[in-house]
Amino acid sequence: MPRLMVVTRAGEELSFEANPSSSVMEAIRDSGIDEIAALCGGCCSCATCHVHVDPGYVAKLPPRSEDEYSLLHGLGTFKDNSRLSCQIRVADAVEGLKVTIVPEE
Amino acid sequence: MLLEERDYFTDRVVLKDPYDYFAELFSKDPVYQPKLRDVMFVTGFEEANAILRNTQDFSSVIAVTGAAVPLPFKPVGDDISAQLEQHRHEVSGSDILVTYDGPRHTADRALLTSLFVPSRLKANQAYMDELAEKTIRDVVARGKCELIQDVAVPYVTLVIADLLGVPADDRDSFKEVIAAGPPPGNIDAEEKPHSNSILEHLARHFVGYVQDRRAHPRADVLTQLANAQYPDGTIPELSAIVGVAVFLFAAGQDTSAKLIGNCLRFLTEDKALQQQLRDDRSQVAGFIEEVLRLQGSTKVTFRVARRKTKVAGREITAGQKIVIALSAANRDPRRWEEPNEFKLGRKKVQEHLAFGRGAHTCIGAPLARAEVKTLLDRLLQYTSDISLSVEKHGPPENRKLDYEASFIIRGLENLHLELKPGVGGNS
Repeated sequence: MPRLMVVTRAGEELSFEANPSSSVMEAIRDSGIDEIAALCGGCCSCATCHVHVDPGYVAKLPPRSEDEYSLLHGLGTFKDNSRLSCQIRVADAVEGLKVTIVPEE
Repeated sequence: MLLEERDYFTDRVVLKDPYDYFAELFSKDPVYQPKLRDVMFVTGFEEANAILRNTQDFSSVIAVTGAAVPLPFKPVGDDISAQLEQHRHEVSGSDILVTYDGPRHTADRALLTSLFVPSRLKANQAYMDELAEKTIRDVVARGKCELIQDVAVPYVTLVIADLLGVPADDRDSFKEVIAAGPPPGNIDAEEKPHSNSILEHLARHFVGYVQDRRAHPRADVLTQLANAQYPDGTIPELSAIVGVAVFLFAAGQDTSAKLIGNCLRFLTEDKALQQQLRDDRSQVAGFIEEVLRLQGSTKVTFRVARRKTKVAGREITAGQKIVIALSAANRDPRRWEEPNEFKLGRKKVQEHLAFGRGAHTCIGAPLARAEVKTLLDRLLQYTSDISLSVEKHGPPENRKLDYEASFIIRGLENLHLELKPGVGGNS
């Protein structure tokens, strides 16, 4: 199973194996990290699973959809490497993908 | 008689006001087992959250049948995962998505997520607008209506049918079958198996749709659903696609229709609030969130502990059945100031648990919010006053309101409204 690296809001780096059939949001939640609210449950509707993708991995992921971009770009914490973690499939993620959980708005 | 001595699953006093019952349990302990049943009630916000998010220690297998029905096996030891999987098929409703656990749940749920993204709802919005416009103009012209069965149920049924791409000719038959069925969690049928006849009717239609679209793809939603792939690229069995599609109908009907009823209950009992929203309809979305918090249409959901574990320091044994009282968590005074008061504009109100949390968060929540908002918006736009029928429900100081006899669903069986036309047209 692919490994993910997650940087929590406290700055702690955690690495774990992720289920390839899940989204990165689901994988983070299943690992026991409880910093992602994911209020909408993963259908690209609430922007509470916002992460910054480590710059080295951005281009290796399938691009953001228009839905995803339109939710993200209104956030104060938006950056070029912003993603909604519910919209990244673990199966599409490269080994060692590193994301940072963005502080709450 | 102490409320605690009443049986949550069958008692009509508790049915009428579950909030007092839950408040009494909460005052003893946010994780508490009343004497009557071998069932743990979780009424605290943090405690409910913790369980909803913990799919390692808690299984959803009893989400449909409820916590009062015995497990089909006697739990042995501190980890019953293997037993649970061995007997899963014997649990009523275990073929429905809400009861799935782990990778199977993740994979089947993924088939649906693309249906609820904002661009798809936007495409669905035009139909919702048109249907709400027609529906509300009709009832306002009549001057009265029975909101639940005559307005809300047909409306939400047609909206989900449109979202899934059900052909217009078949929609009426869906509407009739769903309107005739009882909601889940009937308190008079606690020990009986879940009624699946509605689902079977819908399934027959969807088998036909999916087979047809797989053989003859078109540019429609059903084709997209029929050819959806699992995240690993494999093709789901026909039955998996049919299962999730049918599930959407079943799960979305009662809950959304009852939410519309609960919203109108608030609006008719508080005329100042009604006028405030009519004057500024941009507040409707916030209003719906507060109704979801105070009177969400799902009172409780269920889990069973698959392993010995702890919640908020309290030991939970493997096999322990749990009632997660979403509606109580939404009134936890540690999380919400003056929790029983209706207040527009609460900070972070959308963090309420009316749609659950974690892996099983209601996937239709964005649709529910959009469709209820659309209907309320039109209703306020085309009326100058909405009142409860005194003839049907009695005077304000002595209302007669019948709640659906369900230990899961919180909602009125019927709500008779009187509608005074307004200037309309203003948007």
